[in-house]
Amino acid sequence: MTAAKSNRKNGQPKKTQTPSGSSPRNYGLPLPGVNDEEFGGSLIVIEGMDGSGRSTQIALLTEWLESEGFAVETMGLRRSGLVAKDIDALLAENTITRMTLTLMYATDFYDQLEHRIIPALRSDFVVLADRYFYTLIARAVARGIERDYLNGLYEMAVRPDLTFWLNVRPEVAFEREFRKSHAISYWESGRDLSLSDDLFQSFILYQAKIKSEFEALSERHGFIALDGEASVVSVNNELRKRIAAHLGIQRTHYRPSTALAPLWR
Amino acid sequence: MTSRALPPVQDSPANSMEHNTEESSPRLEPSRKYPGALIVVEGIDGSGKSTQLYLLKRWLEIGGYRLHFTEWNSSPLVKSATRRGKQRRLLTPTTFSLLHAADFADRCERQILPLLHSGYLVLADRYIYTAFARDVARNCSPRWLRNLYRFAPVPDITFYFRAPLDVAVKRIMSGRPKLKYYEAGMDLNLSLDRAESFRIFQGRILAQYDEMIESDKFVVMDGTLPVNSLQKQMRQMVKARIDLSRFAPKKSARRAS
Repeated sequence: MTAAKSNRKNGQPKKTQTPSGSSPRNYGLPLPGVNDEEFGGSLIVIEGMDGSGRSTQIALLTEWLESEGFAVETMGLRRSGLVAKDIDALLAENTITRMTLTLMYATDFYDQLEHRIIPALRSDFVVLADRYFYTLIARAVARGIERDYLNGLYEMAVRPDLTFWLNVRPEVAFEREFRKSHAISYWESGRDLSLSDDLFQSFILYQAKIKSEFEALSERHGFIALDGEASVVSVNNELRKRIAAHLGIQRTHYRPSTALAPLWR
Repeated sequence: MTSRALPPVQDSPANSMEHNTEESSPRLEPSRKYPGALIVVEGIDGSGKSTQLYLLKRWLEIGGYRLHFTEWNSSPLVKSATRRGKQRRLLTPTTFSLLHAADFADRCERQILPLLHSGYLVLADRYIYTAFARDVARNCSPRWLRNLYRFAPVPDITFYFRAPLDVAVKRIMSGRPKLKYYEAGMDLNLSLDRAESFRIFQGRILAQYDEMIESDKFVVMDGTLPVNSLQKQMRQMVKARIDLSRFAPKKSARRAS
């Protein structure tokens, strides 16, 4: 924790600039009762499939930002106080249909946005999002729901300051996930789509669909694509470089604490 | 079902997320892609709509027609989330709206659409117009809401039971001792008094319903008329607009008399 102490002065939280000039902070509509202009914080999104290293990077970035004196809040899918448990229960059943699931995820997303993200952004926090609505769009499109419908659904989402896409090949993601949990989830392999009876094949086919949707999303929303197959250290260096530039952090030197040192490879 | 679950929106350019028209033209014509038919009743609480739909249902049941009755807010799948959100007052206009849409989607995908495809007459006590009226009264964007419910089949008939605010509120207040928090629109800070808040909120909803009369082709029913004369009108309208023989009991089927 010595890093935290010595960097504090250096990392004097600089007032975050409004991203890309005067562009509004939503995708077409404000949330009822929300004034975008009040936001002082920054929203940084890390996207990528399971096994792309998102959570590792978020743990490291959180520590780095805190050591630089920034308050950090995180969000992710299925973490709302309102419906996270209900979605878990619905996923465990096989009766859930695609529209219902899409709308339950949207509820989960907006609940976090309104109760966690927006208050944090108003209080100058850096919000690190472990996935954002882009994943929800990609998954729903893979299940045949129209893009136009989904874009309308997320019209009130806060536009991120930076969105990173950790790009890995599905084969590599499969291997990493399997090594980690010795199993591949039903949903992450898209088995509800009956793409293949073989689990590995199903995973690859499903993730390829997701990936092609992400390519379209990346173009549209200006993602910063990073090579998720590179080492944790080099991905982290790249992330810090970009985030430092955005937040106005001068020095980006970082060594993880002993608690996080095992991730640093 | 996949072919028609999400028809394209006609008014907005493909892939445009940032079109700025606040009004979005809804789909107005009932689908002819299924043999079923959908009859909907709408109106504020206390307008008499549920009584009338019940009587219509009895009439059709006694006649042996193939029908299914569905209510707003009845899917067990989403019920626990809605209950939790309401009890703990976690709901914002947006999440309130989304949870009800999820609930409706479940009913739509697992009941309403399959039944319409298999040739049922579906009777719905409240439908998407309830969400439009109530959520716009909660300051949700009409454009966002119209998009949200785009997957819903358009009804063959929508009866709108219109009762003056005073009449409706009086009916509700005499029958129900305690108004619930969201039901009374307490989340909108309209008034500290629950009954007064309910009244203002219902007034807003009524105004929203009135806005939709033409655009959504409502059949307006005067909720102050006697029950049996309203029912007579309703049955006549159903007979005139829907070929009920499609839903009649099969000739070969024996019916206990």
